[in-house]
Amino acid sequence: MKRKLMEILACPIDKYHPLELHVFEEKEEIVEGLIVCPKCLRWYPIREEIPEMLPDELRKEADDLPFLKKWKEKAPQNVVSEGKPFNLK
Amino acid sequence: MKNKNEEVKKTVKKAYSKIATNSNSCCCQCGCGTLDKQTVKKVSKSIGYSEEEMNAVPEANLGLGCGNPTAFSSIKEGDTVLDLGSGAGFDCFLASKKVGQNGKVIGLDMTEEMVAKARLLAKEHGYANVEFKLGDIEKMPIDDGSVDVIISNCVINLAPDKLKVFKEAYRVLRSGGKMYVSDIVLLGKLTDEQLKDEDLLSGCVAGALQKDGYIVKIRQAGFKVKILGEDKEISKTQYSGIALESIKIEATKLG
Repeated sequence: MKRKLMEILACPIDKYHPLELHVFEEKEEIVEGLIVCPKCLRWYPIREEIPEMLPDELRKEADDLPFLKKWKEKAPQNVVSEGKPFNLK
Repeated sequence: MKNKNEEVKKTVKKAYSKIATNSNSCCCQCGCGTLDKQTVKKVSKSIGYSEEEMNAVPEANLGLGCGNPTAFSSIKEGDTVLDLGSGAGFDCFLASKKVGQNGKVIGLDMTEEMVAKARLLAKEHGYANVEFKLGDIEKMPIDDGSVDVIISNCVINLAPDKLKVFKEAYRVLRSGGKMYVSDIVLLGKLTDEQLKDEDLLSGCVAGALQKDGYIVKIRQAGFKVKILGEDKEISKTQYSGIALESIKIEATKLG
């Protein structure tokens, strides 16, 4: 994902814009990272350069929680403990 | 209702991840994933792709469309284009050439395997102005008024709540922006058996609306609707005579 894409990304649930970007790995593009809606505290993973902006009902806890675990030191603490739809609390 | 809608999405997602992981595929009815390259080409030609377009990124052309929205769109250089249900990215790559370096094309699809495939093809073929993201067209992860042109090819029929899709499209388009849709609409009633058929659902039939109902929903979302074309032949060539057509629509967000 290119950083510029943030210009038009909004939270699919409450349509809030702008969203927060946390980059964990970056080459030519962002390889892994986290997109956070500051309004509802939903978090969306960027994996293998693809932003995954699915609504809650199409997400799988078993796929998403390991991602949050992997990056829990670098992710914002409020997302780790209170983030939606899944968190590590 | 909500649960039923989620079931529909799951069925569609499953069918299309299967198609994405097969090398070639098949839109219509069977969902078998076994269309050979020749057939894909024949189908693509009949729905309006030129020889040159088909040769652009042939691996991205899965033969799943029912028209060529980029060709009948008004996409200009520098535009931001959003493709609803971008699949392996074929229409995005065609739009990419039209928007040029100063524009961008965003493909939105809810199937992980499709998005991954499209992303890979964009890299391999050097489409720097195209990006794909995973998302639901009923709940688009896009800011209000940020898109110039929306295209969509044979996808909205798969969405359980079409009015929601059109309302979302209206929201993300800038004022004066246009949506170009090619989609399957019904011209007669389906049997109860057909309506329950999962392959017919993923095959763009069982979830399709009657033509008039489809247009009414686009208007309800706020659009001004213009029908650009109707292809009834597609019923014979791809849908074994079921009473349906492929409709090409230009929907404008006024004001």
